[in-house]
Amino acid sequence: MAATLGDSSSWSTALVKISPYTFSAVGIAIAIGVSVLGAAWGIYITGSSLIGAAIKAPRITSKNLISVIFCEAVAIYGVIVAIILQTKLESVPSSQIYEPESLRAGYAIFASGIIVGFANLVCGLCVGIIGSSCALSDAQNSSLFVKILVIEIFGSALGLFGVIVGIIMSAQATWPAKSILLDRI
Amino acid sequence: MASTFSGDETAPFFGFLGAAAALVFSCMGAAYGTAKSGVGVASMGVMRPELVMKSIVPVVMAGVLGIYGLIIAVIISTGINPKAKSYYLFDGYAHLSSGLACGLAGLSAGMAIGIVGDAGVRLWLSMDSLSVSSSLPGLVNPEQNRVQSSETWVIAGRLHLVVSTPILAASAV
Repeated sequence: MAATLGDSSSWSTALVKISPYTFSAVGIAIAIGVSVLGAAWGIYITGSSLIGAAIKAPRITSKNLISVIFCEAVAIYGVIVAIILQTKLESVPSSQIYEPESLRAGYAIFASGIIVGFANLVCGLCVGIIGSSCALSDAQNSSLFVKILVIEIFGSALGLFGVIVGIIMSAQATWPAKSILLDRI
Repeated sequence: MASTFSGDETAPFFGFLGAAAALVFSCMGAAYGTAKSGVGVASMGVMRPELVMKSIVPVVMAGVLGIYGLIIAVIISTGINPKAKSYYLFDGYAHLSSGLACGLAGLSAGMAIGIVGDAGVRLWLSMDSLSVSSSLPGLVNPEQNRVQSSETWVIAGRLHLVVSTPILAASAV
């Protein structure tokens, strides 16, 4: 282990000094924070168009709330993954914090958080933009609502992709104390 | 203890970031394509509601870009297993580059699909006020030619992605 430290590259000498718990905490924060940012952005884009269009066509309000619900789902994905990621955190004896195994666990949680956060950010934006055009076209012609909703469903699938990959990647976050116990058995 | 873990310590950082880049940038491209062409479809649908279901094609193609990113991200992330197979910095950098290749190609393909889809779908409106199912044969063919040429642009944007990702993902494996 001492042979690999500092031998590899200058990035390694810097990265090895950063605690995996730093990476994990930042990953979890990004998972929920950026997801909620995406959801909020989508809701305000949809909501402002919806309210403006409803002045002349009040019938559209109750149906088009579904666009707001699609945006909200993005925030819920962020919450779910943040909770899953924080249950993956384990306390490790301080002699083992910089073991390769625990460094890898920290990087896995960090990357998982980035994936979920930014995938939900763009998903929220996409659903918000399409939701706003759905409200505006529904105000003109109510047969268009279901058709534009199909496009919105394609958009909301992007948040699901992020959640799936985030959960698959968080399964890689195994800390060393567990594996040592298994070795002894 | 550390004997079961072979390879460089910080290599998984770059590997996982590659998987993240694959998914995040592809999703950005898919979102841009879906949103931009969706807005075009909605504006066109106000004038010609019967053409909306035909115009979903750019949206479907943009959604497929997200699936490409998902596949590459899962392949990369399950390939990072330093206990089963040694994971050196070379592997980490290879995974980072394949993830960036897939992701950035997906981003650019998605932007192309969005812009072309938006413009192509609004082409329906520049036709005469006659509908597509017009009984005048002379006007049906030019319509189809115009729509087909815009759809080939969309397909070209996707082919670039399909070619680049297997090449670079193979370099990681």
